Amino acid sequence: MRIVDMVRLKLRSLLRRDQVEGELDEELRFHLEMQVEENIRAGMSPKEARRQAGITFGGVERHKEEVREAHGLTWLSAMSLDFKLGLRMLIKYPGLTLVGVLGMAVAIAIGAGFFAVMRSYMLPPLPLEEGKRVIALESWDAVTSEPERQILHDFTAWREELKPVGELSAFSTIRRNLIVPGGSIEPVRVAEMTASGFRVARVPPLLGRYLVEEDEQAGALPVVVIGYDVWQSRFAGDPNIVGREIRLGSSVHTVVGVMPQGYAFPTNHRFWVPLRADPSEYKRREGPAIQIFGRLAPGATLDQAQAELTAIGRRTAAASPETHRQLRPRIVPFTTLFSPVEVSSSWMVYLVQLIVSLLLVVVAVNVAVLVYARTATRRGEIAVRSALGASRLRIVAQLFAEALVLAGAAAVVGLLLAGVVVSRLHTFMVEMTAPHGGLPFFWKDAGLPGSTVVYVLGLAILGAVIVGVVPALQTTGRRMQSSLRELGGGTGMQLGRTWTALIIAQVAIAVAVLPLSVFTAWEYMRYGFAEPGFAAEEFLSAELEMDREYPSSTEAEAYNREFAGRYRDRAATLVERLEADPGVREVTFMMDLPGHEYAAPIEVDGEASRESATRRFVRFGQVDVDFFDVFDVPLLAGRRFHSGDLGDAATPVIVNRTFVQQVLGGGNALGRQIRYVSDGAYTAPEGTKPGQWYEIVGVVSDFPNPMNSGTIEARMYHPLAAGQLYPTKLAVRVQGGTPAAFASRLREITTGLDPALRPHEVAPLDEVYTQGEQALLRVGAWAILLVILTVLLLSAAGIYALMSFTVTRRRREIGIRTALGADSHRILRSIFSRAVGQLTIGVVVGIGLAALLDNLAGGDLREGAGAMLFLLVAALMLTVGLLAAIGPARRGLRIEPMEVLKADA
Amino acid sequence: MTLPPSDVLQGTLDLLILKTLTLQPMHGWGISQRIQQLSRDVLQVNQGSLYPALHRLEQKGWIAAEWGTSENNRRAKFYRLTPTGERELKAELASWERYTGAVRLVLQGG
Repeated sequence: MRIVDMVRLKLRSLLRRDQVEGELDEELRFHLEMQVEENIRAGMSPKEARRQAGITFGGVERHKEEVREAHGLTWLSAMSLDFKLGLRMLIKYPGLTLVGVLGMAVAIAIGAGFFAVMRSYMLPPLPLEEGKRVIALESWDAVTSEPERQILHDFTAWREELKPVGELSAFSTIRRNLIVPGGSIEPVRVAEMTASGFRVARVPPLLGRYLVEEDEQAGALPVVVIGYDVWQSRFAGDPNIVGREIRLGSSVHTVVGVMPQGYAFPTNHRFWVPLRADPSEYKRREGPAIQIFGRLAPGATLDQAQAELTAIGRRTAAASPETHRQLRPRIVPFTTLFSPVEVSSSWMVYLVQLIVSLLLVVVAVNVAVLVYARTATRRGEIAVRSALGASRLRIVAQLFAEALVLAGAAAVVGLLLAGVVVSRLHTFMVEMTAPHGGLPFFWKDAGLPGSTVVYVLGLAILGAVIVGVVPALQTTGRRMQSSLRELGGGTGMQLGRTWTALIIAQVAIAVAVLPLSVFTAWEYMRYGFAEPGFAAEEFLSAELEMDREYPSSTEAEAYNREFAGRYRDRAATLVERLEADPGVREVTFMMDLPGHEYAAPIEVDGEASRESATRRFVRFGQVDVDFFDVFDVPLLAGRRFHSGDLGDAATPVIVNRTFVQQVLGGGNALGRQIRYVSDGAYTAPEGTKPGQWYEIVGVVSDFPNPMNSGTIEARMYHPLAAGQLYPTKLAVRVQGGTPAAFASRLREITTGLDPALRPHEVAPLDEVYTQGEQALLRVGAWAILLVILTVLLLSAAGIYALMSFTVTRRRREIGIRTALGADSHRILRSIFSRAVGQLTIGVVVGIGLAALLDNLAGGDLREGAGAMLFLLVAALMLTVGLLAAIGPARRGLRIEPMEVLKADA
Repeated sequence: MTLPPSDVLQGTLDLLILKTLTLQPMHGWGISQRIQQLSRDVLQVNQGSLYPALHRLEQKGWIAAEWGTSENNRRAKFYRLTPTGERELKAELASWERYTGAVRLVLQGG
């Protein structure tokens, strides 16, 4: 008989129980009838025959039971009974259920959430035909530790020589204004891509065709392929879209095709134009910045492709060492095209996943202590079962089943929680990436992937093993015999030193971790809701971009000069036109939005030069002459910028108050000279001269308010002319309406001036703050608070269990002593004080650990309010512990001596 | 003196059932009758052991069961030997021979 048949047989006994029973019935009855007939033939009367047959046959039920045993599945029905019992246990002990389920649910949710995020976002599968064979290539610069993108020459070489990879394609993302006649003007992201890119994806167009090699020729008709959503939303699903002309920036393109819904290859693109770049026009490592991808040829492996690529790379490096000596071409996962996060170190991901899973182990151990304490009250039941013939395995299996019910409930709650969090995260990311083209096509919101459920099941079983099996093994140990003797209650089980130590250790860890967590959560909260300190809600911010081409190497210098001049001209005109608009109150511009300036190391005149370790870093801003006026920043000393300060030879700078205090140590700042450090490691920021001394001519108030803890708040400002550096950011203070309402008007004015101008990341300034870093801080704060609450809850539960166990264990003693006249309060106080003593030990050890941790982390917690925080946490833990111990203590007070003595008899 | 009928040892029962089924498929009653017959009434199979043994052998895949009609037109469950069962029977027979041969040697030698 094949295995399949045997499995089918087993399944049948399991699932078609009634039918199998009926057949067994019939089979045994047949045998009985034959025996009766035999007896009649032997000469007995029918009645006698039947009676004799019955005796010979024996008890039918017993036979049936034995047959059922032979099927080998009785343990299954026993298990289902255990599960029902487990469910009843959950209801009977709601406290333990609540604590256990909540605690484990949080741990499972964290594990599942992390797992789902890893699967969906870090290593997602590509939803393309044979998606595993689609890969990306990059040229890694070993010196700068960054990929080199201007590799047009390499791309052409690879396309010809790299055999294991077919349809090698290149693309670069550019932004252009989409000008639809009669419609609004909006900047869109366009993929300038080689035609082979479409063949890599293997998705046929919905209408018309996609790009072909002929479109890439110089002089060919400019064409464009658009995506389904764009076709519907911007062109109203025009059935005659193919052949229509649309304007992208200053050029006109003919639509040749529409791609199907959901198609956004290579990452999140909805417009495709041919990449026309002739390598002969550029020197090596010049030209457009491109990203390269392709599909593994049939039969080729990744290793083969990488090996050949490395060989080609070495040949190129030997042929032109000045440009290629430090370049290492390599194959990377396709998803690297969107997120630069290096995921090749997947073992790190697994390591973090393991650590997160350990969280459940910690929680489970906690819950195991509680379950152990509860199991102690069931010693009698267990002893009786054991006497009736239950093996140790049986009893452990029963307790495991109960724990599995608990863990199962926690798994369900944990999965729900994780699902909610993950989908919120997805929504968050959709919002965050919307201004940059949205999410890539391989980041689908599939909720929780199926593998997450499997992972959670694994966690639940692990939790059940820890919670059920370990206490069960302890309970059914050698002391079983003594339990049976002292069935009426008494001093059977010990909450051994191990368990007590565990609870104390847990209290200590909670106290150790709490101060830092509370402090961090508090800081996150503080900065997460911090106000910028000025009227950010009146401003609309935008970055001003202008369409750039890729000049050939010979024309590059002239082109860049012309571009810079044109940009200055446009920017200045734009500011004028905006100021003239009735909806605008004031306009200013800067290189970085207030609060988002970069930092660089500086030197102060008259100071000895410092080593790199103690370099001073300040934030530097390049701002309009009227910057401080527009933002209402008060001047504290000296003067503001004026137009005379502009020009390449500009040396005046203005600093803020924190700069004076931290960098200059207070005192007079006017006249002091500062310059940027430019040695091997650092270069002077763009727009500043290396080695140039800048003179402080004014001091302003700190602007804006700090929006994260521990950041550099000393600032230095340079004057900037409109369009002097690219790209410049604008801040428009509106009047008579909200900034959001002005956004479309801003685009109108800008593109009306020049369709090659693109306002980018247009948003009200207050939203830029609250929805950027601050949003992350807020989420972080809530997450930490949740963890803190869980830790406190578990600690309280542990102490409750400890106390409750002690009281139960010593019931008889308390009862007898009370009956003999002792004051029950005094007895209880002695028990209580012992528990409090253990609690205090835990708290003290915890504070010690916390101080140690703080020392390791830099010791900045103990200054100032930090010390108070330690005391607060200690007090909090003591209070929680005392509250937890009160319940069992009151129960102890209510012990009736007569009851206890009766039970003993 | 006739020997009282004795209960068949567990384990050897499996062997006897398998051997009985080499001739033709049979139902449980038929098997017990045949064993009793062939052993000249020495071995009387206890019904309480027969059916668990049959079902156990079925679970192991050594015999297969099928519902059919008995000689007196009643519905009965017939068992037959499977190829695996045949193999196992040979093996069991060999070890039985070895065992009893050894016992005989010891008894004769003493």
